[in-house]
Amino acid sequence: MSAKHLSPETVSERRLEAVRLRLDGVTVAETARRTGLSAPTVSAAWKAFREGGWDAVPIRPRGRPAGQAHRLGETQQRLLWQRLTHWPDTDEPGWSSRALAQALTDAETGDASPRAIEHWLVAQDLKPSPMALDDLVRRRTREGRWFRQQVQPALEGQGVVAHWLGGVRVAQPATSSEKDSRRYQLYLHGKRGALYSRCFTAPPRADDYLTLFERLASRGPMALIFHGAYFRASPEVQDWLVDRSDFSLITVPPNITLRAASARG
Amino acid sequence: MTTLTHLQRLEAESIQIMREVVAETENPVMLYSVGKDSAVMLHLARKAFAPSPPPFPLLHVDTRWKFRAMYEFRDRMAEEAGMDLLVHINPEGIEKDINPFTHGSAIHTDVMKTEGLKQAMDKYGFDAAFGGARRDEEKSRAKERVFSFRTAQHRWDPKNQRPELWKLYNTRKHHRESIRVFPLSNWTELDIWQYIYLQEIPIVPLYYSAERPVVERDGALIMVDDERMPLEPGEVPMMRKVRFRTLGCYPLTGAIESEADTLPDIIQEMLLTRTSERQGRVIDHDSAASMEKKKQEGYF
Repeated sequence: MSAKHLSPETVSERRLEAVRLRLDGVTVAETARRTGLSAPTVSAAWKAFREGGWDAVPIRPRGRPAGQAHRLGETQQRLLWQRLTHWPDTDEPGWSSRALAQALTDAETGDASPRAIEHWLVAQDLKPSPMALDDLVRRRTREGRWFRQQVQPALEGQGVVAHWLGGVRVAQPATSSEKDSRRYQLYLHGKRGALYSRCFTAPPRADDYLTLFERLASRGPMALIFHGAYFRASPEVQDWLVDRSDFSLITVPPNITLRAASARG
Repeated sequence: MTTLTHLQRLEAESIQIMREVVAETENPVMLYSVGKDSAVMLHLARKAFAPSPPPFPLLHVDTRWKFRAMYEFRDRMAEEAGMDLLVHINPEGIEKDINPFTHGSAIHTDVMKTEGLKQAMDKYGFDAAFGGARRDEEKSRAKERVFSFRTAQHRWDPKNQRPELWKLYNTRKHHRESIRVFPLSNWTELDIWQYIYLQEIPIVPLYYSAERPVVERDGALIMVDDERMPLEPGEVPMMRKVRFRTLGCYPLTGAIESEADTLPDIIQEMLLTRTSERQGRVIDHDSAASMEKKKQEGYF
């Protein structure tokens, strides 16, 4: 069995065991068989023991020590929150990690890469995974029926050029205090799962949803599959939808399980 | 000798109390509020008098503002138990269209629940009413006896309660006085959930976590159960995974965010919780010692 995927702690224990077996006179091949390590690893452990004693046998921790990664400064984080709680100046439907990185550069608070922004979004619980709709068409479940009856006709509707997946949720990062941690996030997943966000300190109101819809509708005939809001109770949203034949809003029914696709950049 | 588990001891105590009431009173009734405690109480009553149905009817003092799922469940359970279901709604409350929004929780509770209960007790001449209250729910309930006596005007005097030593209950009362009997007094919320799990007692689905439309009101998550719930201009309810630890009138009952959609999950959540289920009830926080005042005036 390969020891390639074992945890560092387990590998260290096995290396120590391998040295003990070698001290008892067990052959390298037999030690490798008993510990599940490869013969070169057993030899390496034995060599490390002879040169540095027991302390040299366990493997050293791999990778960069925890806490040494580049972190966004207080000013940068404050600026990100400030940006996220306002709509972007462009016609984008929300803030992408690339746009947020550019905002930091423009504000001259120090550069950060889009990837660093994404790590920050994960830490703030602002990076939901996109809904997985790809294999629903064949599924003989409630989810499959919903897809075939509601989603598929809308996606194949007149001139729909694109579809977006989105929703509203409450983000609760593990590290912040209870009062500060409650953020309401409007999010969208576009092409290749690209994430766009807009945050609020209170539940979004009809105006907020309509701003989002307007920004999407300005791009042409559009289908939006949305989760997390009960639009049926909102006369403002219902009235807006009446006049927009080029905008299909498909709400995900409650308690439907859409296996989240793995998060992508 | 077989040792009873703590749940078996509680069950035996509750059954003894129910049989005692049937033996000692003339016209008992079981108050059925459709919640989990009522579900357990009904289950115990059916056990206490099996194979016959319990020798008393169920009384639901309705406010017209319960969750829709509760009404469906109520009718189904009464039919299954083979018991008469009496539903009483305060006619004055209907006439004045008393509701929690325009009249506030205090007036709504007083008119629709307290006055409604008193009217129903007088109308049918009940001299004993089983209720599913527990001591761990709330402070004033903690000090109330299992047999709680009410005057002819249905008032409770917390300073004049009878001793209940060695589980001996004194049921003597004057003409027109009545007794509220709490067979589940000594149960805790966790006991209730464990018993529901072990006995497979059906409960309203609202106790299980699911995505439901909710709005935030003073920090509480209030479910939008029907179109009567007034929303603020521009407000859009959010679908959130919530469940209820306690059930009452839907505009006055706060949900909690939870992933517990099975009984074992609920029990596990219960083991970690440090707050009473009634923290979600708006009516308990109307004013200081709110519940005790309501009980003195005749609230169940």
